[in-house]
Amino acid sequence: MRYLKEVFAARELLVNLTMREVRGKYSRTLFGQLWSLANPLALMVIYTFVFGFIFKTEPDVGDPSGLDAFALWLLCGLLPWTFFATVLNVGIGSLVANTGLIQKVYFTRIVLPLSNVASSAYNWLFEMAVLVIVLSIAGAFVLPWVPLMILIMLLLAMFAAGLALMLSIANVYFRDTQYFLTIILQIWMYLSPIIYPVSLVEQASKDVGGLLGTSVSLIDIYRLNPMDHFITVFRNLLYDNRWPDPVEWLVCFAWASITLILGVLVFQRNDKRLAEAL
Amino acid sequence: MSDIAVRVNNVSKKFRMYHERNQTLKSTIMRGRRSVHEDFWALKDVTFDVPQGSTFGLIGSNGSGKSTLLKCLASIYFPNEGTIAHKGKLAAMLEVGSGFHAELSGRDNIFLNGSILGMSKKDITSKFDEIVDFSGVEQFIDQPVKNYSSGMFVRLGFAIAINVNPDILVVDEVLAVGDQEFQDKCYQKFQDLREAGRTVILVSHSMGTVEKMCDKAAWISHGTLRAVGDAAPTIQAYKDSLSSNS
Ligand SMILES: Nc1ncnc2c1ncn2[C@@H]1O[C@H](COP(=O)(O)OP(=O)(O)OP(=O)(O)O)[C@@H](O)[C@H]1O
Ligand SMILES: [Mg+2]
Repeated sequence: MRYLKEVFAARELLVNLTMREVRGKYSRTLFGQLWSLANPLALMVIYTFVFGFIFKTEPDVGDPSGLDAFALWLLCGLLPWTFFATVLNVGIGSLVANTGLIQKVYFTRIVLPLSNVASSAYNWLFEMAVLVIVLSIAGAFVLPWVPLMILIMLLLAMFAAGLALMLSIANVYFRDTQYFLTIILQIWMYLSPIIYPVSLVEQASKDVGGLLGTSVSLIDIYRLNPMDHFITVFRNLLYDNRWPDPVEWLVCFAWASITLILGVLVFQRNDKRLAEAL
Repeated sequence: MSDIAVRVNNVSKKFRMYHERNQTLKSTIMRGRRSVHEDFWALKDVTFDVPQGSTFGLIGSNGSGKSTLLKCLASIYFPNEGTIAHKGKLAAMLEVGSGFHAELSGRDNIFLNGSILGMSKKDITSKFDEIVDFSGVEQFIDQPVKNYSSGMFVRLGFAIAINVNPDILVVDEVLAVGDQEFQDKCYQKFQDLREAGRTVILVSHSMGTVEKMCDKAAWISHGTLRAVGDAAPTIQAYKDSLSSNS
């Protein structure tokens, strides 16, 4: 509790560090904030060409929105994923990158990884706003779902923040962690329903049946992946324009809060030792 | 004795010296449970009090543990044994422009560094002119600090630290880079602080500076406290030990 108070007292510093990153990131560039869209757009073009056009992946038509466009369907899952991956990739190095500061000045160290989460969230908010506009133009009635979209964005940010806190500490002790992470994120992305619909996995799971003679099927294991639930909620809200299953909400909420609490606890236990460990 | 600003009580600080310090999983796994390190005591059972309103000098040879002690004061390190208590707000300036961001302008850095040191935006805005004035870099305030000279760097950093308005200001050998004019300014500032009942703790290798600025001093040698008390006798004891060695 005392720790939370300390973090709360440092909120102004958190804002300043976040703004430094937001402003610094695209300063001296011609297109500024538009660069934030470049990476997801490039991925969208590639995946749409490979998986939509060549492999002919056909996600279900948006129900009840009636949308039927692979690129839009893809973006509804891809933007949350790229945010998640960015937070982990940047957050994991946030302590090591600020070694000088940590060893010379006292302040609440947790603001370093958190400011990375916040600045990535700022870019993500911009991307999602553009997506909502494009979806509306394409005919989806998405505006009423925006408040819920913001809620699930918040939950995903909490989940990502919790992981980033733990990873940033782990990386102080083992610099291998960041290289592991690159590989794990790649595997994780293909294990999440981002470029293919879950229905394909369900189909495959039915074909295989119970694993090793048990009643546990492939899809049950697949569903252990928290990103599956987050992506499902995002797609329900944005692409289908309907209420996600309350169970999905519950699962997302549980993952988000447990991970964040664990992350803060791990960080709190270690932050006094950071100056020496770095 | 009147009020005590900082009470250093039996403080010991241990560092681990690893023989192979590559932080990889492989080396940890290969090493197994058995850790290959030696303990090194950078501070051994140091006890002294800093009276409120004094300017306190810390002297000693290179590697004697002065910076380590200051870092313990500033809550960057935590002592393995003993306690440090201080009364009021403490601001530390341990290195030239620590926390400056090279690409940002002097102006942005004042706000960023100020908030790292715990000032609110309102505080900084109201003190902004004073900070710029004290640092004497107004002409370059919108230039990125990577283009500053090292003296300008220190001046700006120091100006910010002083304007945090701490009850206790901790300074580690940063004054040496400033020119005579700036050192005089600092001397003046320390005196103002003392008159306002604030405490200054500073490390310097220039005995002239310590003699001129400090009224109390402590001498540390190889992590142990050798002498503490009024500045003049402490400095004399340190000087004597140096001349008897050579
Ligand atoms: N993080 C650390 N890990 C291991 N040893 C350390 C660490 N920091 C300091 N030391 C050791 O502690 C001893 C004291 O260092 P310290 O920086 O306090 O000296 P100092 O009195 O400030 O010297 P100088 O006058 O050169 O600034 C040195 O032997 C140094 O090697
Ligand atoms: Mg030193």
